[in-house]
Amino acid sequence: MSFLASRFRFTQLLQLGFCFLLSVGSSLSAHAAKQVNPQAAPNEFVETVGNNALEVLRNEPAAQKGDLNRINQLVNEYVLPYVNLEKTTRLAAGRYWRQASPEQQKALVEAFKGTLIRTYSGALSKVDEISSLEILPFRGDANADDVVVRSSLSQRNGPAVGVDYRLEKTPEGWKIYDLNVEGIWLIQNYRNQFAQQINQNGIDGLIDALNRQNQ
Amino acid sequence: MNNNEAIHTQTSARLGRLAATLALAGVVAGCASVPNPTPEDPWESYNRSMFQFNEAVDKALFKPIARGYRDLTPEPARTCIHNIFANMADLWASVNSFLQGRGHDGVNMLGRVLFNTTMGLGGCIDVASKNGVKRIPNDFGVTLGVWGFKPGPYVVLPFLGSSNVRDGAGIGTMTLAGASSYTGVLAIDNVPLRNTILAVAAVDLRESLLDADDLVDRIALDRYSFIRDAYIQRRKALVEGRDVAPGVSYGALPNYSDDNLPDYSDDEDDDAAAARAPATGTAPSAQ
Repeated sequence: MSFLASRFRFTQLLQLGFCFLLSVGSSLSAHAAKQVNPQAAPNEFVETVGNNALEVLRNEPAAQKGDLNRINQLVNEYVLPYVNLEKTTRLAAGRYWRQASPEQQKALVEAFKGTLIRTYSGALSKVDEISSLEILPFRGDANADDVVVRSSLSQRNGPAVGVDYRLEKTPEGWKIYDLNVEGIWLIQNYRNQFAQQINQNGIDGLIDALNRQNQ
Repeated sequence: MNNNEAIHTQTSARLGRLAATLALAGVVAGCASVPNPTPEDPWESYNRSMFQFNEAVDKALFKPIARGYRDLTPEPARTCIHNIFANMADLWASVNSFLQGRGHDGVNMLGRVLFNTTMGLGGCIDVASKNGVKRIPNDFGVTLGVWGFKPGPYVVLPFLGSSNVRDGAGIGTMTLAGASSYTGVLAIDNVPLRNTILAVAAVDLRESLLDADDLVDRIALDRYSFIRDAYIQRRKALVEGRDVAPGVSYGALPNYSDDNLPDYSDDEDDDAAAARAPATGTAPSAQ
């Protein structure tokens, strides 16, 4: 019944997509974790990060059984080093970022980190040996320092889902800072929620709300 | 099938009672003030009430049934049922792709339906996906968007959930015109059979969304806003064709230039200097 579909399809897609970050390039997966080179071409970079995360996950029985704590640890170890959490949080906070004190900014990044980890982990329990990901041909300007890497993930029981990664070139190399799942950008989806919390309870209220969810 | 019939009968009875009580509650709860108005959602006060109503019905009715269905039915059977309904939807997605002038998508989706209906045993097995033919979701709301109709305000429909004026009109038009994926089912003369199929479709749909639902609970600060904003972004992306056929080389697909990306420049420009400094200093926080 389409009424239910319209209600939930989007969140479902979101979930599907988030697991794909971690299954990037699984079909080509090597047996040993490859050295991630943040200075490489952006699509190669995303492919290696995803490959490594997926490989680790498959070889981890606890993760395969859906142990969220273990998956959280793995995400923290294998994915987060390549994500610019500060930038993700700053853009989600929008104009309110400047109103926050440096301490509040730090606390906000730390609080939002929990949400991001849960987002990846929640879907990670779905990754299996059949999931495979294809990095699509790079369409942007290869010399730009803000690029989008597109990918498509096929899975066991359904059609492939498109996931895009937005990356920024930093002095240390590429960092992922935004994620698009079937048309839904992660940062964009948190902007109103952040603004809402800040308008009602201030920046500390937002930090508290995020931390409450982290428990 | 006995099980399904039982579920269905129960469904109708409970639904009737619930609808009556909760509809009233929803209407009465009507007009709360909106602390953080959003331009796309001028009817937020009403929408939030309707959202709560839908959530209540879901919690009391659809979700428990979907959980029971998941527990009782073996996964291959569920997958088969799910694929059959998806295959029916794919046919209409194909038609809409053609209506939008996205002929390449239309042909791909039509091929998908033909392949799955035959080799996939009536859609039971999604052989097309296994062979790399991707699903390109589409519907008449998107077609209206491609034809130039603006989405209009976001609206939460009773039972139907997230929509906007344009997409709601799209659903209505297609249902009246007899061109929805359920038209074939609705045409079945045997009423118990017809109702059973519709009930199974609803249960299947809800079951497939259980995990996503839990995920939203874990990550959303405000479920209402999260779902609304996801809906608005998703529909916009479908109309723009941004995620049309990932992986298929498609001439009309917009190049990923910056103007297609969400514009965060508001913050960047004012904040460029300040932003860069903490950005380099992020390494510790990213561990």
